Amino acid sequence: MNRERAANSLLAVLPRKGYQLLLPRLERVTLKFGDVLYHPREAIQHVYFPIDSMVSLLSLVEGHLALEVGLVGHEGMLGVPLALGVMDSPVRALVQGSGTALRMTSAHFLNEVRHNRPLQRAVSRYAYDLMVQVTQTAACNRFHQVEARLARWLLMTRDRVRSNQFRLTQEMLGSMLGVLRVAVTKAAGTLQKRKLISYSRGEISILDSRALETAACLCYQIVKVVPAVTRA
Amino acid sequence: MSSRVFAPASLTPKDNHLLAALPEATYQGLLHFLEPVPLPLGLAVVESGGAQGYVYFPTSSIVSLLYVLADGASAEIAVTGNEGVVGIALFMGGETTPSRAVVQSAGYGYRLRGDVLKKEFEAGTALQQLLLRYTQALITQMAQTAVCNRHHAVEQQLCRWLLLSLDRLSGSELVMTQELIANMLGVRREGVTEAAGKLQAEGLIHYSRGHITVLDRPKLEARVCECYAVVKREYDRLLPDPRSLAPRARARI
Repeated sequence: MNRERAANSLLAVLPRKGYQLLLPRLERVTLKFGDVLYHPREAIQHVYFPIDSMVSLLSLVEGHLALEVGLVGHEGMLGVPLALGVMDSPVRALVQGSGTALRMTSAHFLNEVRHNRPLQRAVSRYAYDLMVQVTQTAACNRFHQVEARLARWLLMTRDRVRSNQFRLTQEMLGSMLGVLRVAVTKAAGTLQKRKLISYSRGEISILDSRALETAACLCYQIVKVVPAVTRA
Repeated sequence: MSSRVFAPASLTPKDNHLLAALPEATYQGLLHFLEPVPLPLGLAVVESGGAQGYVYFPTSSIVSLLYVLADGASAEIAVTGNEGVVGIALFMGGETTPSRAVVQSAGYGYRLRGDVLKKEFEAGTALQQLLLRYTQALITQMAQTAVCNRHHAVEQQLCRWLLLSLDRLSGSELVMTQELIANMLGVRREGVTEAAGKLQAEGLIHYSRGHITVLDRPKLEARVCECYAVVKREYDRLLPDPRSLAPRARARI
């Protein structure tokens, strides 16, 4: 379990004692691409601390594809509303990248977060980071071109799954960026032609991450994952 | 500053719903530290990137949270009025904020020093619970604004914006130029002029020299996209109900 502690950055910043208190409550689970962990306005059953999985937070609006407002990986957790005193999720949480996570029941988490001060602080701090991400995503969606947004999204994904290769359908990407699929296809085609990425059958590989950073809007610099230890 | 500034005698900290919902003992403990401050139009209460020393509890003003991009473009991501607090980075542990908080509708509020707030927050009192729930409501508003910006027409966004603003004021009039609205919505001014013109032609609002009066609220509510209802429902559910607050506050609502 100690290896896994380091594998989720939010748990990694807890003092050893704080973490050991949590340990018996944490259960290792596999999250599969396409799984829905939370539905809007439904009670949260578990909180999740992703290790190498990635989950997209989607806001739903009638008559449109769901729009991504946040992306959660090893740097964070799912179930922030619980820590803020709210028992249900405002968003849909959809697994974007298969992998493992540690989970805990809501009841246990509520109890822990009430008594474990370092956990409380880490979660508050993460809730704030998530808010910054929501804000930045909104701004980015509003003002930036699809290609720059796609580049940002690919880099954010890479940071969260810690791999230059991941699976993705163009339809999902459209939803992530709030644009039509054709626009995604076109933007992905341009990045591919410039040899920044390769895209084939739902598998994306980042070939040149430095160039991809240049292609991305500056929003990426704000939401990129900074290792938690250096921030403390 | 507090020695020179007096809020109108009719306003008290309890005109802010979060402060009004505090248990009396907690409220009395904070009262001494709550400074009345005028919040004039355009004042930047929180600057992006800067550290902040205070949180603000608006009583009769509305503060806009704006995101600011590296190229200077900005638009509103949420509004806060007498239902909330401005400057949540301070207690959530964010060192700086990429968004700016600017007064959108002039009025008054109370400010509280960061160290006082932090101490109270860390003590895990009722204030902490209220602030956290407000934070969750705010996150929902931000996410919904993101969706609305992306998918809905300027006219619907304008309706949403008017309704959210009115909910935070006592009357049915807003003092606002079209240029400012355009900045808030992150659209071109012509877009706002066209949308406002249409709403005016249909008798929903009256617009004249920077004053917007809502004439027919039910029609405006019928016109607005679902985003308004989603945000309102969350706020009603998560935050103290102003009607159930202290009589002092109720009398003014």
